[in-house]
Amino acid sequence: MIAFAGAIGDVLTSSTMYGSTVRFAALLVFAATGEWVAEKAGTMNISVEAMILTGSFTAAIGSYLGHSVWIGLVFGMLGGLLVSLIQANMSHRLGSNQFVVGLTLNVLAVGLTAYLNAKINPTVTKAGAIKIPLLSRIPLVGGALFGQTWLLYLLFPLIPFAWWLVYRTRWGLEVRSVGESPQAVDVSGIDVNKRRRQSVYFCGLCSGVAGAYLTIGQVGSFGTDGVSGRGIIALAAVILGGWTLKGTVGAAVVFGFFDALRFALPALGHTVNPQLLATLPYAMALTTMLLFAHRGRQPSALTRPFVRGLT
Amino acid sequence: MLGENGAGKSTLMKILIGLIQPDEGSINVHGNAVRIADPITASDLGIAMVHQHYSLVEQLTVWENVVLGEPSRLNRADACARVVALSERYGLGVDPLAGVSRLTAGQRQRVEIIKCLRREPRIIVFDEPTSVLTPAESEQLFSVLRRVVIDEGRAVALVSHKLDEILHATDEITIMRRGRVVDRLTTGTATAAGLAQSMVGRPVSLRSEAAAFGSIETITQSVDAAPVSDRPDGADASPAGPHAAAEMPVVLDVRNITVIGVDGHRLLDDLSITVHAGEIVGLAGVEGNGQRALGDLLASLVAPVSGSVVVGGKAINAGRPGALSAAGVGIIPEDRHDSGCVLDLSVAENLVLADLDKVSRRGVLNRRALEARAIELMDAFDIQARSPHAPMRSLSGGNQQRVVLARELSAHPRVLVAAQPTRGLDVGAIEYMSERLRRAARDGVGILLISTELEEVLTLSDRVCVIHAGRIVGEMRRDDIDLERLGMLLGGMAA
Repeated sequence: MIAFAGAIGDVLTSSTMYGSTVRFAALLVFAATGEWVAEKAGTMNISVEAMILTGSFTAAIGSYLGHSVWIGLVFGMLGGLLVSLIQANMSHRLGSNQFVVGLTLNVLAVGLTAYLNAKINPTVTKAGAIKIPLLSRIPLVGGALFGQTWLLYLLFPLIPFAWWLVYRTRWGLEVRSVGESPQAVDVSGIDVNKRRRQSVYFCGLCSGVAGAYLTIGQVGSFGTDGVSGRGIIALAAVILGGWTLKGTVGAAVVFGFFDALRFALPALGHTVNPQLLATLPYAMALTTMLLFAHRGRQPSALTRPFVRGLT
Repeated sequence: MLGENGAGKSTLMKILIGLIQPDEGSINVHGNAVRIADPITASDLGIAMVHQHYSLVEQLTVWENVVLGEPSRLNRADACARVVALSERYGLGVDPLAGVSRLTAGQRQRVEIIKCLRREPRIIVFDEPTSVLTPAESEQLFSVLRRVVIDEGRAVALVSHKLDEILHATDEITIMRRGRVVDRLTTGTATAAGLAQSMVGRPVSLRSEAAAFGSIETITQSVDAAPVSDRPDGADASPAGPHAAAEMPVVLDVRNITVIGVDGHRLLDDLSITVHAGEIVGLAGVEGNGQRALGDLLASLVAPVSGSVVVGGKAINAGRPGALSAAGVGIIPEDRHDSGCVLDLSVAENLVLADLDKVSRRGVLNRRALEARAIELMDAFDIQARSPHAPMRSLSGGNQQRVVLARELSAHPRVLVAAQPTRGLDVGAIEYMSERLRRAARDGVGILLISTELEEVLTLSDRVCVIHAGRIVGEMRRDDIDLERLGMLLGGMAA
């Protein structure tokens, strides 16, 4: 017990811990923000996992071919977008079940990226860290938030932009309505499935950034198991966040913390079974979904396909 | 546009608004043949529709709903100003900042009207506009309609199955039956009895039709007055008679039941009610006073926190799934789509669903027995479907309700709970349902009729109980019904 309390104390006073929480959380926040928009429009987009993985691979390819972090980022976004194009058009144009499509894409992405990675074996240009003057000198959290790779800073404009997009634009109003009451939106003369596809594309772009951030921002190489379920955790963050953006970002940071704990505890000299520790973020995600799945008010038409006509 | 449920009125209107594509035929708007591919095209042609339901997003505010579907940029102040202006022009009293989920049915409809009028349509379609409105709200709706037609020169198509409002509010009437136009006439030359006849295709007993006559007091009276005098003598009294029924054994005895809802609210509060064999007990009350909870209780869908349910002298554990059904309580649920039938199964499958033992052996269904049983029941209950294998979804509301009724009665229940059995049905179907309930009572079934249609309760019941706030607040026999006292009880005043 004392050892446990000591471990918590060590963790909370370690600036390394804050740094790695932010690093892990950032990946989740990028993806969860996109996922939040997709879910607002009514898609429980489980292929967010495949979008991140594909994005992280294409980012590696981009930076390898172009010898540039920027090209890597653009390729990452295109990779995420590619997966979202398949997901969106299969489920919201051809009428396939969104979960079946998502599941298939997730499995496909693992196999395909592993194969191509072995074939091409790209070397990655890593993005450098940029210390933001003054802000990065804030004790404990300064370095964590403002002494990171510049890719992470994309989060700072992305979050308010996503909020503005959903709550302050006509597109956002339509997206929210589509997720709540597609029939009503249809009779108002809006193309329901088009809005749903677009929101999935948005998720694809965000997840692509998440993948690029992972490869070029953090790791510096593509790892076939680099994503390993973090897309699903981003999805859990939207649920835990009760389908609000604030809640989603908060939940993603909490999950990031547990992710970081895996590495921080051994580093700070505490011995915990590493296999058990590795399951921590996933066990947390499952537990929170169990506890909070019905707490937030989810979009009424979430997961329900829309077909025009007799009802 | 007048017609029974399932006559095709709504389908025709959905074609007009671009929600359904016709397989054949043409539509002319202002003399030009047009193809209406989707609601946007309809809107461009100046056609707008105030829908029965489905067209407002509950989680949004009024102004957000009104601007939904406009191409311009989102501008809250401007949108609110326009809502207020329209609201004042038609005297609708709508607050643009209110959340739609908190509005009453009548207020929601006014929001829809604003949403519709804002696009300055030349043709406005109203689909069953008064089905959810109070009499006063209906009256107000029709005064708005008159303004729109007379002062502003717009054309209005009013779709309804209520004779009184068609007579009250229209200039010309088109009657549909089974997907065809059967009659067109000028309102001035129409009579209620004549309309009812061409709507159903045969003369109807107008007493049971009373429930279909809607909401506007003066009209209801004038329509009602003539037919009531020539109704068949004594057709509405159940032959056993109230006193005879009282001597029969009690088949359903609900004692001091309390049911608490998820939010901790008392849905039923120490409620007691008894039903004798061969008796129809009507439970009257304003909607939302515990009727749904009582129906759920008697379907074993909710468990009571205290009290007991006794069926045929045996105490039943009401909360155990299927317990009451096994004890001989049949139920026609309030919402037939939600819990009355399975829309995606066939008519035959729905008919045998409650009693699969008869048509299966060792868990394997016998297709031939199933079909034979279905055909037998379809004949006995006059269910109109293409075949026993037609999907339930393809049947009209009246026929779906007959399937539910056939299924429940064919299990030979001791008690039949009929919750809002005629809601949403047309004249012919209401008549049929009433007759069937009477016949079941004659055969010795105890019937608990839960209905918010007072007319229906008064017509059918041997005894009337009044529910208010989850309690029975009064009871009267058929022969000493005091309408004034009844009215006070309904309103929750002790009398």
